[in-house]
Amino acid sequence: MLFAWMLLIVFLALIACMFEDLESDMGSQSNPNSQVQLAAQVGQVNRFFNKAISGEAPSYALYCTIAGVVAYVLLLREVNPLLAIPIGALAGEAIHVIFSVTAHVGRTAAQKRFEQPIYLDVLYGHLLPIATHGFMATLCITAIAYIQCNLGTLSGMPALNHPFALPLLAFIWGITVGAIGSSTGDIHYGAEREFQDRPFGEGKRVVYHGKITRYADCGVRTQKDIAYFCAKYGGPVTGLTFGVIILFESWRSLVGMMLGGYLPLQEAMASDTLLGTVARVATELLPAIPAAIGDLTAIIGILVGLAIGIVLIVGNVVIVKWARKRYGPFVGE
Amino acid sequence: MDPILLIVVCVLAGGVLASLGVHLLPVGGAPAAMATATGVATGTVMLMLGAAMCGLFTAASVATYTSNILLVSLSGAVGSWLMMGVTMLLANLLYVFGVGVVPVSGRVDVDPITRESQKEYKTPQCDGHGVPNVSYISGMMGALLGGFGGALMYFALLEYANFEPTMAGVAAMGIFVANAIIAAYNIGGTIEGFQDPKFKRLPKALLTCGIISLLSGVLVSVVANMGGLIG
Repeated sequence: MLFAWMLLIVFLALIACMFEDLESDMGSQSNPNSQVQLAAQVGQVNRFFNKAISGEAPSYALYCTIAGVVAYVLLLREVNPLLAIPIGALAGEAIHVIFSVTAHVGRTAAQKRFEQPIYLDVLYGHLLPIATHGFMATLCITAIAYIQCNLGTLSGMPALNHPFALPLLAFIWGITVGAIGSSTGDIHYGAEREFQDRPFGEGKRVVYHGKITRYADCGVRTQKDIAYFCAKYGGPVTGLTFGVIILFESWRSLVGMMLGGYLPLQEAMASDTLLGTVARVATELLPAIPAAIGDLTAIIGILVGLAIGIVLIVGNVVIVKWARKRYGPFVGE
Repeated sequence: MDPILLIVVCVLAGGVLASLGVHLLPVGGAPAAMATATGVATGTVMLMLGAAMCGLFTAASVATYTSNILLVSLSGAVGSWLMMGVTMLLANLLYVFGVGVVPVSGRVDVDPITRESQKEYKTPQCDGHGVPNVSYISGMMGALLGGFGGALMYFALLEYANFEPTMAGVAAMGIFVANAIIAAYNIGGTIEGFQDPKFKRLPKALLTCGIISLLSGVLVSVVANMGGLIG
């Protein structure tokens, strides 16, 4: 049962981070938005949505914490989680939409001297996609925080409930999902889709900065053309990043708990059998036993984590070596 | 040892380690998102905080079944190390397959670890792109140190200052952010890792972060004392 909940968390993490990245593409938030800002200043009037509220990590920490707090309050009032979590996410998204409007209108208005108009159809047309993508991300993060808070209760071993309160867990994963969405997903939007009329296979030179691709396959490009493109590679890879992180973190903890003896001990203590009674009495009379089991559990978890990290380092060496061999030295001008 | 002294020492050490960790991360900021600079395409504080929070989550879980400070701190360190490792690896996948560039350093002509030449693979008018091996290993070391520092502070607040777990997490994060921001100011935007000339600015940041962490440690001790949590 514990493994099933863990896998559900991993799946939710994958969905959350993918939608977080696509939302940042849909609203043009974070690092690549520097080019949208710059575009008007270098004479490139555009129909991009300019939503630089803050870095993705603080903004998602805000929405997820609001969602977590609202859900937590509703749960304290014994509202069903299936209702409390979506209501929390809705509250978070309400704030998100307000910030989106003020950020876009405020920033674009400040570019009046560069003759950048505020296109009202761009403003109205992007709010709903921003809200829906953001809602998916916030909903999944709040659900993850709820499951982790109650993991022990849900899987029948109360000791496994996470010690942090639901809003803090929502905050932690909000920060993390934003940091990952910003550091991974931005690349596909900023280095590829934003400069698609430049040669593929090279870093975007400083002279290109601000000169973004303004025309789509058909008509003038807006953020909607960008999200559908990034959904094919950048979004899923970003989702995979967060999913794999949660998978490795959970897996190494669980392996440590199983091999270190923590899980069998908890299972025994939770049972009403003779073995359970013996386990409860033994841990009370000899506190050194659970302490030793706890230490061993932590040590195994650490060693497994270090081993995974070393594999990741080797993976990076392989990718870099492959790219150097496959692409070769730079041949352009 | 006196709990007040323990709190101050742990917070001081945690803050200094956080600052050191931030300096080791390969942070490319906005230029990295356009493959114009080497490193991870986000801000220094956000990246370190994301990694440290990931570590803090695991450290908090581990602290429920062990009271060994080293094991809790190492668990946090490994949590951050995994977060950074996966993030940098998959960012490189995007650089290689999504943008079609070779990960290279813009600050050194030869990778100091793998001895691979960098210059001829770099796009002109760019300050490198992607996460080369030297930056990757530097980032992993930074995450390990930063995560260790964050978890160390959390454990001190939880066990020695007797804060409630959620409160200890919030307070540890607050002190961590202060140190990360000081380090980010010292870096001034982008850094590639220990091979970057900006890394030489480290002593100034360590001194400043040491003073800030010392003040934070004293403040935590005062709060815990006045709140009747210790003594």
